[in-house]
Amino acid sequence: MPERIAATELNSLVSLLQADGYRVIAPTIRDGAIVYDEIASAGELPVGWTDDQAPGEYRLRRRDDSAAFGYVVGPHSWKQFLFPAREQLVTLRVRDKQPEWSAVADEGPAYAFVGVRGCDLAAIEIQDTVFTKGPFVDGRYRARRDRCLIIAVNCTEAGDLCFCASMGTGPRADGDYDLRLTEVGDELLVEAASARGRSLMDRLPTQAGGEALQVQADQAITQCGDAMGRSLNVTDLPAKLMGNLEHPRWQDVAERCLSCGNCTMACPTCFCSNITDTSILSGDETARERSWDSCFTADHSTIHGAQFRPDVKSRYQQWLTHKLATWTSQFGTSGCVGCGRCIAWCPVGIDITEEANAIAAGPGHPAPLPEPKQYEARENDGQVPVPVRVASVVRETHDTVTLTLDLPDGYQHGHGQFNMLSLPGVGDVPISVSGSNGQALEHTLRDVGKATGALADLVTGDVLGLRGPFGTAWPIEEAVGRSVVLIAGGIGLAPLRSVLREMIARHDDFPHLRLLYGTRTPNDILFSRELLGWIQNSRVRAHVTVDRGDSSWDGNIGVVTKLIRRKRLPKDGLYFLCGPEIMMHFALAELLADDVPEKNIYVSMERNMKCAVGLCGRCQYGPHFVCKDGPVFRYDQISDIFGKSGF
Amino acid sequence: MFKLASCDGCQLTLLDCEDELLAVAEAVDIVHFPEASSKVLPDGPFDVVLVEGSVSTTAQLDELRHIRACTRVLITIGACATTGGIQALRNFADHDEFVRAVYARPDYIDSLTTATPIADHVGVDFELRGCPIDKGQLIEVITALLVGRKPAIPDESVCLECKRRGTVCVVVTKNEACLGPVTHAGCGAICPAFARGCYGCFGPRERPNTRALATLLKKHGADDPEVRRHFRLFTGYSKEFREESERHE
Ligand SMILES: Cc1cc2nc3c(=O)[nH]c(=O)nc-3n(C[C@H](O)[C@H](O)[C@H](O)COP(=O)(O)OP(=O)(O)OC[C@H]3O[C@@H](n4cnc5c(N)ncnc54)[C@H](O)[C@@H]3O)c2cc1C
Ligand code: SF4
Ligand code: SF4
Ligand code: FES
Repeated sequence: MPERIAATELNSLVSLLQADGYRVIAPTIRDGAIVYDEIASAGELPVGWTDDQAPGEYRLRRRDDSAAFGYVVGPHSWKQFLFPAREQLVTLRVRDKQPEWSAVADEGPAYAFVGVRGCDLAAIEIQDTVFTKGPFVDGRYRARRDRCLIIAVNCTEAGDLCFCASMGTGPRADGDYDLRLTEVGDELLVEAASARGRSLMDRLPTQAGGEALQVQADQAITQCGDAMGRSLNVTDLPAKLMGNLEHPRWQDVAERCLSCGNCTMACPTCFCSNITDTSILSGDETARERSWDSCFTADHSTIHGAQFRPDVKSRYQQWLTHKLATWTSQFGTSGCVGCGRCIAWCPVGIDITEEANAIAAGPGHPAPLPEPKQYEARENDGQVPVPVRVASVVRETHDTVTLTLDLPDGYQHGHGQFNMLSLPGVGDVPISVSGSNGQALEHTLRDVGKATGALADLVTGDVLGLRGPFGTAWPIEEAVGRSVVLIAGGIGLAPLRSVLREMIARHDDFPHLRLLYGTRTPNDILFSRELLGWIQNSRVRAHVTVDRGDSSWDGNIGVVTKLIRRKRLPKDGLYFLCGPEIMMHFALAELLADDVPEKNIYVSMERNMKCAVGLCGRCQYGPHFVCKDGPVFRYDQISDIFGKSGF
Repeated sequence: MFKLASCDGCQLTLLDCEDELLAVAEAVDIVHFPEASSKVLPDGPFDVVLVEGSVSTTAQLDELRHIRACTRVLITIGACATTGGIQALRNFADHDEFVRAVYARPDYIDSLTTATPIADHVGVDFELRGCPIDKGQLIEVITALLVGRKPAIPDESVCLECKRRGTVCVVVTKNEACLGPVTHAGCGAICPAFARGCYGCFGPRERPNTRALATLLKKHGADDPEVRRHFRLFTGYSKEFREESERHE
């Protein structure tokens, strides 16, 4: 039953929360805006204030009444408490040259959020999905969330930038709250939705007779919904946006956009992060830290040798299509709750509703996105490396080594999966498993930068950190009894070697195996002795080609696509591709021209990675995350975006 | 550590690293540090040299070439060394007129007509921005060098640092002129936290959209000379800021 309470009694609510041990976080005025911060009493609420908002503009203004909740949302959001802007994930201690990593426990306070609007309640639920619905679970986020108590507020006056009604997230604050308030005149309607909420309500100086007030409250909420400052046409929006990637409006907005990233920081659902190792100069204990990141930085989409979103246009396109389109595929809801923050806090006032409405109305044919995937949630976030010893190092070529590592306890992997290899203070990088047996695990890596360089310098007996295995594997059981063709370019042979070894060992299951392998020069050929062995025992028909030969080379010269053209390949076979994207692009073109069905082709993709578990957002590839949905994809899952700029 | 035309502020940053300085001193052998001791210039060779300051005189240019020749890793530190600094404002003006206006005996003054960043003259291995540089970033560069990895110095906008610390945007609430969106992060967004716009001390970030920012400054009432002044400050001679300021001549 709803009850009523005088607005002047708000302080008894704040006192109760404090007595229950909560830190009370609420709207309060600071630096010319209504921010979210800890308050000591209800006197710190912005009583009698409101906010005037326009694209790129925010001003406080006195109201002519003393409403306690007579404003909408400001520069802050609740995510700064649940998903802090900076946070330590893992600490590392080096003792006698032995690194030891451990997870940082969350020992933060229990927060009571007062004044959570409908849009923000929805935003919290969206981040709950991102951080806790698997496959990996951010335990610190979940602990903070479980402790936190939510006092929601229904909106009765819409702001000029609000469009929650379009997004179905407000103005009524429905969802996972404990207590809910609606301000009507100088009274508040109080509703409880949980045991914690009811316990509070029991102790508040409320009065019966909430029903009459409820009628007035409902009316005000409905009117608010009808008076939204903005609207977004969400009908079939994801498909319409994805179908209009060529719209000239993208270039137009790119000229106005500063690519400053303010929109992503202000957005209550944006969750991208960077992970860095702090310096180890000043002590033997260091930390791996996570901080808010943005798709508007170059680093976000850069890997060795490629930057996938080099210009403002592709970065804005990533942001908008992620929020309003691909998010649906990734997490089952839109990534936008209609709070309007990104419009107000964009210095140049770019309006997401205006841009999206214009682009979605373009002439492009709607391009539907895949249905959301379901993941099984595990109990950990996969961020803590285990120390492993280097058992041996083999130099394969001038820039490539194979590290054989002692197998960590209980470690099992699929062929095609990868591990994150860490060195203290250097950071960690994704490296595929290139082979394994009961006792050892091999990784073959090319020295292209600082982390791989440091890994390539390891010697027998050194200790490094390993976390994994992560990602998808080559579909080996699907291949039983069929012709299998492996197409590798350069270092791309490494992730294929482990699956190849397995298939060679199970000759009866895989009688028709072929390997097409292209590399730069004869000196760059990986695993050459092993390769020769395979060729000689005729369990695999292997063809090698080099871009540039030398005097000793009497084999094929030219790119790997030439081999595809020359060998008659089975249409009903399965194809596993791994190598530089450009090489896979041309190989795919050959295969598709030969009428090989898309669903018979598997490719291994590469994108920038930090967390490797689907939490940092870095490896996004359209609707997919390369770390958890890939790296091995069936080609028909990604054929819409493969090779397209901006992805 | 060497200095050319500069105020010594960046060198002081290293002295300021009290806690870390001991660790630094343990890890490296500091052979020349003008601000910390008055020992004469050693000959080299050097593993690492930090250079502060811009090239303002021919003598400095000679010294710089000498340093480069006997140094493995050359790191430039600060706005002067990486963009020319505040003294590079003379590059936009008549140098002789400046000299006559400032000095009683202009004929004693032997300086180049421009003050230019070090990378205009010799190869540079890493540029650390700032006016002055940030102490945390300096330690990071030194550590990364010792460990042998890429320094984690993000080339993103100041806005990201500003938002991470929860500062309320001064552009949106007060129409303040702020170079944050086009400026290289690193300072921790200090000025906006004190209710001022960013002065661009760290110079241009990766891919700055200076045109869009100039349009915004104008929308908020700045005329061409004002827009020019905003872009021509401590890092005004950096390519992107210079070009934008020239569009408002
Ligand atoms: C699923 C997967 C499997 C891989 N398997 C192998 C392998 O078996 N053998 C091998 O030699 N290489 C492999 N790579 C590539 C390898 O991860 C990069 O070469 C490595 O991250 C480069 O780091 P760096 O610090 O040496 O280079 P820098 O250029 O200094 O990179 C700086 C940082 O950028 C990021 N980064 C750069 N390149 C990549 C990249 N390609 N992928 C993800 N993040 C990147 C990393 O965070 C890195 O620390 C794989 C990549 C992925 C995504
Ligand atoms: S995209 Fe904009 S309107 Fe939507 S939730 Fe994020 S900040 Fe709010
Ligand atoms: S849309 Fe606005 S806030 Fe977002 S990056 Fe572009 S200019 Fe910055
Ligand atoms: S989401 Fe972090 S690497 Fe994939």
